[in-house]
Amino acid sequence: MNAVRIVEIFRRVLGIQDVDVNSDFFELGGDSLLATRVLSAIARDSGTELLYDDFVDDPTPEGLFTKVAFATT
Amino acid sequence: MHVVVVGAGLAGLTAAVDLLAAGAEVTIVEARDRVGGRMHGIPVSTDVFADGGAAYLGVKHTELLAMIREYGLPLASTGMAGHSTFLMSGARTTTAGRVPPLDAVALGDLFDRLEDLVAQVRIDAPWQTPQAGRLDRQTAARWLADEVNHPDARTFFPLFIGEMMAADPADISVLHMAFYLRSGGGIRYLNSFEGGAQQWRIDGGSHLLCLALADRLGDRVRLRHPVSTIIQDSESVVVQCVSAADGNPVDFRADRVVVAVPPLLAQGIDFRPALSTPRASAATGRGCAVKVHLSYPAPLWRAGGLSGWSVSTDGPLLSTVDDSPPDESAGVLTGFVTGAAATTFSAMPPAQQQEAALAHARRLFPDLPPPDRVSVTDWPAEQYSRGCYAALFGPGDWLRLGPALTTPHGRVHWAGTETSLEYFGLMEGAIRSARRVVAELIEDRAPAAAALEGVPS
Repeated sequence: MNAVRIVEIFRRVLGIQDVDVNSDFFELGGDSLLATRVLSAIARDSGTELLYDDFVDDPTPEGLFTKVAFATT
Repeated sequence: MHVVVVGAGLAGLTAAVDLLAAGAEVTIVEARDRVGGRMHGIPVSTDVFADGGAAYLGVKHTELLAMIREYGLPLASTGMAGHSTFLMSGARTTTAGRVPPLDAVALGDLFDRLEDLVAQVRIDAPWQTPQAGRLDRQTAARWLADEVNHPDARTFFPLFIGEMMAADPADISVLHMAFYLRSGGGIRYLNSFEGGAQQWRIDGGSHLLCLALADRLGDRVRLRHPVSTIIQDSESVVVQCVSAADGNPVDFRADRVVVAVPPLLAQGIDFRPALSTPRASAATGRGCAVKVHLSYPAPLWRAGGLSGWSVSTDGPLLSTVDDSPPDESAGVLTGFVTGAAATTFSAMPPAQQQEAALAHARRLFPDLPPPDRVSVTDWPAEQYSRGCYAALFGPGDWLRLGPALTTPHGRVHWAGTETSLEYFGLMEGAIRSARRVVAELIEDRAPAAAALEGVPS
């Protein structure tokens, strides 16, 4: 798991290509329903179950990866 | 060509107006003393109407938007600014975002599984979906029990299906669930307010559109004419009504009939000769939606930073939406009682319904005064709708009824939102069904018309 993998998850869930590690999920048109699908995809990939509050706190691939890395160390 | 249209809801009215414009002679018979069917304005305060039935629309509803423009009706945005309110097993929380405070990963897994199902459906012919037989036999409740383990996902699923489809998961097939979500533009679109299927309402009430259509038809609209029998032979077709005004039988003879009523009502008409494929089966259910409108002097919840959107695990008001008029001349919260909760609520006497709604409003918004008025619109109990949002296709229905959904029965053609594979159950589906049926009738007529006018064919 790395931030680029989360970029791919954003792209798949949002159905858009223009995503980078600093893209804000909600500014890209994401909503809370789609956010849960990002969280389930991260959990499948990394084994780490983040909370919705973690997501809202920094809804970027980089921010989410930081939380996954923090949770697994 | 003379056409009798049965049912003055959005589909029937649209078909009648289009047929009239195409030069047909049209009569439209309606059982109720009003037009509009499942689009009905409910007075909630002085000069303020709320939508008792169908209310919301979005950018994908292109036919509906064009018609709203044509008739010069204004739109109101359904604002969702502010925090959501949740009552989960008695615990009240308010948060940003519309997803309840349940395990987000479990909900995401549930949505992933639903997306997989939705992607499988053949939207042009749901009955030809891969493994259609299995998906059509299994109920959505069974699917959940077999496939989803997390308790939070199991808690959320009936709330979600209630909100999306006004269905108890035990009453619909997996195929119908997947079809409905796909037909309406996908889970994300159907679930969204801004950018989704709930972006706007018609300001003043969706019934205004039906009134505008009926205006074009004038005295061609015959109210209080419930249809009992439709008899046809090789020459013509006769629609038999019993006038609710004087109890006298009234017959309308026509070249073609368009039946534009929900499947359960169409099935109740005595067709002679009989239908070769039924319109509904014993498994076909009533859309289980009761709408409860709570009227306040103004949208008071906004001052506390709340959107008015709420989700509760315990009824009766499983979700609420701020449907206040844009000028804030009143505050209107629409409570949705759906699925199994609607069946329970519908069985209560009116005083108990009022008390249950008021108690729920107190738990949701303890800082607000009680509403000035509670209006209940009980669709499953409506004799001439039998449910709302739309008929629920139960186990076996898609394979049995689906292939003949739009197949004419001799001179009888079918319209209504439940005959539209696009936006099934929505206002948009009703209009698209009318456009399809009018095209059928005009095609039918073409050779005869050409001969009459002496145009070489």
